Amino acid sequence: MFDAHAVALGPHGMLAINLAMLSIIGWALWRAEQRLSSGSDWIILTMLGAFAIAGRVLLDPIPNVQPVTVIVLLAGIHFGAPRSIALATAVALGSNLILGHGLWSFYQAIGWSAVGVAGALLSERLYVNGRLSLPALAAVAAASAFAFDWVVSLSALHSLSTDVFLVYLMAGIPYDMLHAVSNVAFVAWLANPISDIMTRHLAAPASMAVNDVATNRV
Amino acid sequence: MSELIGLVALFVLLTMIVANSVQDENRLKALSVAWVVFLVLSFSTITTEWARMTAELVDEDDDSHYGLPDIWEGEQVVCFHFPEGYAPTGFDDGRHHIDNDGTEFMTDDDWNETGACVGGFSGYNNGWNLLNAAVNASGNSLELNTTVFSFGLMVNSIGGVDPSLMTGDFGGAYWSLYHNGGLSMVGITDLELDSDSVITWRVDTW
Repeated sequence: MFDAHAVALGPHGMLAINLAMLSIIGWALWRAEQRLSSGSDWIILTMLGAFAIAGRVLLDPIPNVQPVTVIVLLAGIHFGAPRSIALATAVALGSNLILGHGLWSFYQAIGWSAVGVAGALLSERLYVNGRLSLPALAAVAAASAFAFDWVVSLSALHSLSTDVFLVYLMAGIPYDMLHAVSNVAFVAWLANPISDIMTRHLAAPASMAVNDVATNRV
Repeated sequence: MSELIGLVALFVLLTMIVANSVQDENRLKALSVAWVVFLVLSFSTITTEWARMTAELVDEDDDSHYGLPDIWEGEQVVCFHFPEGYAPTGFDDGRHHIDNDGTEFMTDDDWNETGACVGGFSGYNNGWNLLNAAVNASGNSLELNTTVFSFGLMVNSIGGVDPSLMTGDFGGAYWSLYHNGGLSMVGITDLELDSDSVITWRVDTW
């Protein structure tokens, strides 16, 4: 009998495979979006959610490097707080069904939801005249990394005393830095393409649609 | 600490080189990739150095690791305590903490004994093997001198400090072995270790 699954990959080989798979998923979703005529933002949120989950799972070998924070931030900017919270929570749950679900999932959902809400609140400063302000977005994405990590670290208070908590946060600073810098990279490379996709599929608010109709009639 | 300073300098240099060699519109892309690659490649060194810098001493006195850096929690440690006035040069101003790669990263001036602890070891089952690993990590500044007797091995001196040559209150002094805070009932070659054992050598008298 052949044992076709006997090949054991090292960590670098596995990471290369993961990066290739993420590229395929990203390319396929991008191609699918180009042929999409629907104006429903939920379809795009679903596709970005799938990409975010795949990104988090496949980039897991690199500590704290994943596209979820930036995608949720962009969702907050373009689609508002409620949709970004839905996306954040679904991505936290979906990715943790593979990576491990537990108490921390709740804190991750809260952390990413807070990032989405921050994006919604800062949308007028981050999205100016139909364009993303990349330097400002990069700064917010970097700050979001620290905010998210510290919110998730709160879960440690269930097992650690408050005295040790500050030490615990300090020990995590290198991980926070890697998250922040990788967020800047995701902003530099992915923010404009993802923003264009989101903008193309923004559902017109109901009130605006009514106004348009009324104007046309006059 | 010095490695961390070197990495920061390299990071600044890398940033300047990339920033000056790439056009404005692609600068953030190039810089961010350079930063991520740099951080990922140096991450192990950064986390180790950072952990040493932010280490605190364990303050629970019922813990066998009491007074030791918290980054050694759950790991094996060997401590050498010298009587006041007899510590080798460099170990006479408190208790020095040396990691398993030989990096000295912390000195506890308030500890009531002078000497050194070498820690961060794991996987040792036998006391003698752990002791030798600790001596090697110290760069042999805590070199052993031993004699093998029929009843077992005896440590004559550590770091050149030989209790039999001490004078004054040290009549009949010898190197005594403690395991997890208690006097060991067996010699170092027969000592079976736990995953977080703390071995301590100090000079006792008959």
